[in-house]
Amino acid sequence: MQALGKNNFSGFIEAVPAYNSLAIFYDVVTIKIIYAPAITAFEWVRSFMEQLISEMKTTTGNSGPVINIPVYYNGADLIAVATQRHLSVTELIRIHTAIPYRVFMIGFLPGFAYMGKVDERIAVPRHAVPRINVQPGSVGIAGFQTGIYPLQSPGGWQLVGQTPIKIFDINKNDPCLLKAGDRVQFISISKETFDQLNEY
Amino acid sequence: MSIKIIKPGVLATLQDAGRWGGRSMGIGCSGAMDIFAMKSANYLCANDDRQPIIEINVPGPQILFRQDAVISLTGADLAATINEKAIPFWRTIIVKKDSVLQFKQAVSGARACLAVQGGWAAQEWLNSYSTHLKLGAGGYRGRALQKDDIINFTANKILITENKVLPWYISQHELDKIYQPRNIIRCIKGPEYDWLDENSKHTFEENDHTIQNQSDRMGYRLKGKSLSIKHPMELISSAVDSGTVQVLPTGNGIVLMADHQTTGGYPRIASVIKADLPKMAQLNPGQKIFFKIVGIKEAEDTLISMQEQLAAIRSACRFQLKKYLQY
Repeated sequence: MQALGKNNFSGFIEAVPAYNSLAIFYDVVTIKIIYAPAITAFEWVRSFMEQLISEMKTTTGNSGPVINIPVYYNGADLIAVATQRHLSVTELIRIHTAIPYRVFMIGFLPGFAYMGKVDERIAVPRHAVPRINVQPGSVGIAGFQTGIYPLQSPGGWQLVGQTPIKIFDINKNDPCLLKAGDRVQFISISKETFDQLNEY
Repeated sequence: MSIKIIKPGVLATLQDAGRWGGRSMGIGCSGAMDIFAMKSANYLCANDDRQPIIEINVPGPQILFRQDAVISLTGADLAATINEKAIPFWRTIIVKKDSVLQFKQAVSGARACLAVQGGWAAQEWLNSYSTHLKLGAGGYRGRALQKDDIINFTANKILITENKVLPWYISQHELDKIYQPRNIIRCIKGPEYDWLDENSKHTFEENDHTIQNQSDRMGYRLKGKSLSIKHPMELISSAVDSGTVQVLPTGNGIVLMADHQTTGGYPRIASVIKADLPKMAQLNPGQKIFFKIVGIKEAEDTLISMQEQLAAIRSACRFQLKKYLQY
């Protein structure tokens, strides 16, 4: 994704990184005219990407900036998750805030960051029946993933807390706080701090 | 210059060619469901193809023109009338002040595009006028049109003093290239096509799929003979697009449309080719379709033909409109 940012081509529209894939969106007509009158635009983009990938140096996943996100741990599933994993609530919070999480991808909703991996001790499956309404800012766990709901939406993740920070804001030039590759450090805050910081 | 919505109809929204560049933030493309109709509607009004149109569903809105306007209607034939007099689709129409446009019923197709010369005034968000309903951004206040909404447009300089349908049109022959045969939808194989077992690969192409009632701008749900995945596994979420055909755990398919999410976790067995998305957009619940798998070359060639066809419509409209409009 970073290599592509520096070396993209005419007709390149956008790239969507996910856990183990990168999707490239391109304009067929432009590529046919400029680069590929004899082959398909798909074949041209594929060989361009293969060349780019072969020249890439492998980097470890710990290079992104660390973004601190305060969380008031009061989620509707907090006690149930702790009970299920035979932990105290304090231990659960300590484990969830112990390490920064990598943003693997943004998807499902605008600004929804899939992050991980969470410690095995707090990994819990999502609800079999999703909640109809999850409040924006809710912080949840699903399997080894953790994430923050940017908007009010239906959702099946186990809710452990609430961030006062808007992680998606249509009124900002850059509406999405997090990007794939960033690292997120959750910080436990009190109800009072939450109320002071609340942007919703 | 403006129009006023007398009755809102169902989910009339402002849409353009879509919002590009937001997918890595989880922001989908939106935009007109039928891009061919959207662009043609603009060309018939001497616009470029960046102007937003009003996408109209059934039942359609009732619209009062508060000033003279040059408009066009394309896409589905929704039995449009101006002051109770039937008007044709795929034509340039001069509408005089105080006229009322309404839509009686769906004759064929699912959604129409209403363009005006100079374009409707709309809110731009991330380089697009398209309405993002979930975020409440872009278009007209980020939402569907409601009763008493007023939508502005720039003054149209018209050299005609009565309601009039201008005397040329996009021919049925041209439209058939895009919209016929109506129930054959071409697609390319998707990344997880080979997850289908051999029977299901045959079923996918040989059996019909019926469009279900729970179909909307996000996607068309299909029902047909069940499709099964060889070794049921959960796909790790990855990018999807308009036209992506996914298999749900029920064995039925879903075709993602303009307001789709940017990523998904169901197997992507196929992708409807871009040139057949306008056709797809005009299908209604209850209609049956057959999928036909084609190669990438055919998918690209048909898209290029559609673009060439649009370019020809654009220059023909410009040439004709010079006689009637000052722009």
